[in-house]
Amino acid sequence: MSKVRTAVLVVLGLLWLAPVYLLVVNASKSVDEYDAKTVWKPAGFALFTNFADAWSKASLGDTLVATTLYSVVSPVLAVLIGAAAGYAIVVLKLRYGFLWFVFIFGGTIFPLQMILMPLFSGYADSGLYDTRTGMIIVYTAISVPFSAFVMRNFLTGIARSVFEAAVVDGGGLFRIFRSIYLPMAGAALAAIFILQATFVWNDLLLGLTLSQSESVRPIMPALTGLQSTYGGAALPTVLAGGLLVSLPTVVLFLAAQHFFSRGLALGQF
Amino acid sequence: MTSSTLQRPAPVKRGPVSERSARTGARVAPLFGLPAAAVVALLLYLPFLWTTYVSFTSYDGLASPVWTGLANYKAMFSDPDLVGALVNTLLWVVGMVTLPVVLGLLVAVLTYGHRWGTWLRLPFLLPYAISGVAVGVIWGFVLQPDGALGQALGFFGLPGEHTGWLQAGPGNTLMMIVAVTWQAAGVNALLFVVGLQSIPAEPLEAARLDGAEGFRLFFHQLWPQLRPITTVVVGLSIVGSLKTFDVVWVMTQGGPGTSSETLALSMYKETFVLNDYGQGAAIALFLSLVTFAASILYLRYQLGESREQG
Repeated sequence: MSKVRTAVLVVLGLLWLAPVYLLVVNASKSVDEYDAKTVWKPAGFALFTNFADAWSKASLGDTLVATTLYSVVSPVLAVLIGAAAGYAIVVLKLRYGFLWFVFIFGGTIFPLQMILMPLFSGYADSGLYDTRTGMIIVYTAISVPFSAFVMRNFLTGIARSVFEAAVVDGGGLFRIFRSIYLPMAGAALAAIFILQATFVWNDLLLGLTLSQSESVRPIMPALTGLQSTYGGAALPTVLAGGLLVSLPTVVLFLAAQHFFSRGLALGQF
Repeated sequence: MTSSTLQRPAPVKRGPVSERSARTGARVAPLFGLPAAAVVALLLYLPFLWTTYVSFTSYDGLASPVWTGLANYKAMFSDPDLVGALVNTLLWVVGMVTLPVVLGLLVAVLTYGHRWGTWLRLPFLLPYAISGVAVGVIWGFVLQPDGALGQALGFFGLPGEHTGWLQAGPGNTLMMIVAVTWQAAGVNALLFVVGLQSIPAEPLEAARLDGAEGFRLFFHQLWPQLRPITTVVVGLSIVGSLKTFDVVWVMTQGGPGTSSETLALSMYKETFVLNDYGQGAAIALFLSLVTFAASILYLRYQLGESREQG
């Protein structure tokens, strides 16, 4: 039984890895050497040339800088704003705290489609359309509800006496937040940050709707552009682009697997 | 000024410190909660309300919206393209609550308690870390006519070598469901493993001693106990499948024609390509209502569970 089990898993696993194999092998072929009839066979190694091509010719470079900015700044802001809300509701015992919480968390219930059109119009009217500030603001807003949700749960688990002791020590409420609660929530903050940074990095729809220039447009819409312009002509370049944009999230995922599974648990339970 | 403040008996001296700070806390608290509430109100709720209103109007983004009642909603169920998108979305929902869920369960059950379980699960988890766009790029490549899949089928002497996998509906939708199954099965497996871990070991051992093995053990002992987590996985799959956009946008842009359009994609096209904001808004609201209903279904189940436990 155990042997059958292992065999099934190995076969299924290899099947699952086949697309990854195809991606790596064909992203490594030079554009001239690539032959559509023999995609399963490795040939040559021009991966870094293809990376460079995707980076410069398709100007993924510019959008990578912009996307990195969004994926760092927005989750950090969201984590802080969400943590402050959690602190207000749980620790400071905000009046009608539960209603505040329901209001903030309710922001994630509906799909993105529900807010795209008004955001587009509003951004166009206010000059935020196609600006990095605009992208940072929208990614922050999207990430706040989840952040507040996790932080509220986390802070509920911390003893009331911590707050009382801090007050006796004479800390102001903001200082207590900054130098006692935030450091204590390190693991939860990191989990939120990783999940939200991944979300921002992988976003297509908001980037597609709210930006157009190379210096503002995030990486995923840029990659779809690369796909439709280069299409068949330089497939290895497109595949290299696909591999390049996947590396950060894959590395992050492998490095922080336990965070991800804990984060999953936080999000679902 | 200073002396008068000093002379006034300072309220500070009454009551224990914590009680006082609790009162100050409650007064200052809104300041800490305000940024979150403001950002959510301005960027999520306000647009939500505007979309809801626009869905009952004819609006092109320039002239003022004109009230048309339910016209946009009627069009969703009569316009052939939108009905097609509705059917495709339904296909996605059915596909996503079966394929990735069954495969995820299979991988979870097979790897759970296996000596190398964590490692054998890794190939399935890897695609989860990849974006929908990258999944679309990879599978668009695999499914090219006479591409990787065709060549593999030809190599093993199987039919379908020259099939244009993405060139006609509903086959193109089915192939894209396969692509997303590749991405999503691993997370489901992870969730099922969490579910398996919560099952008490003793009844399982007892069943094993009674000679229950393989399928019998699974269907009589494991499956009933996995129901709560299955509800969660199915609920998440429904909610996720309703939003299907990225993979389709990259692989077919909804085409050829509108043969592989999903409602999420129609919403985008109606609004930003055809400038029919009202129609786009109606689709968005419809999707939201269905998503909301599906969320309630599985959230209520979860809340019920935790109430029983607590």
